[in-house]
Amino acid sequence: MTFLETALFVIAIYIALVLVRVILGPTIWDRLLGLNAISAKIIMSIVIFSIITEQPYLLDVALVYALLGFIGTVLIARFIEKKGDIS
Amino acid sequence: MIDLLAYLLITIALIFMALGVIGLFRFKDFYSRILISAKIETVGFLTIMIGFTILSGLSYAAMKILLITLMVMITNPLSTHAIARSAFLSGYPINQEPRR
Repeated sequence: MTFLETALFVIAIYIALVLVRVILGPTIWDRLLGLNAISAKIIMSIVIFSIITEQPYLLDVALVYALLGFIGTVLIARFIEKKGDIS
Repeated sequence: MIDLLAYLLITIALIFMALGVIGLFRFKDFYSRILISAKIETVGFLTIMIGFTILSGLSYAAMKILLITLMVMITNPLSTHAIARSAFLSGYPINQEPRR
């Protein structure tokens, strides 16, 4: 396996470990924190994959995923904080 | 030579992320956990993206990777702040004694 494929494999292991924290997490915010960490790792794996396969258009996927992940996390955080009424 | 530097940076970033994941499990209190993991997450992300930029040389892909890094550098601390703020305002207790 080349260096980048081993890096991709190591990031997959990190995602699995953070997933354990998401499952174990006593509170909702632990789970939200774990999801935030997983989305950052997924962005890294998309970029690694686009470098391995030399397809630069995949980087746009990573950019859109980063922004949507941010919006989703902030929305869920506000939803929990306001106990349901977002308005 | 340049690729060697990129591979070195990627290895350092993977070590950072390993520390971040260990920090995620080591700390018992939520606030110390979010502090550690978010900070190391951002640093690891920055380092690995600089490594990819060097690896992909001078091209549009490198510019795109730098744009992604800029976006995540702005949004990651903001989303972590939103999580910690919602935890604090919803009354999650901050215990005062220093946790081991």
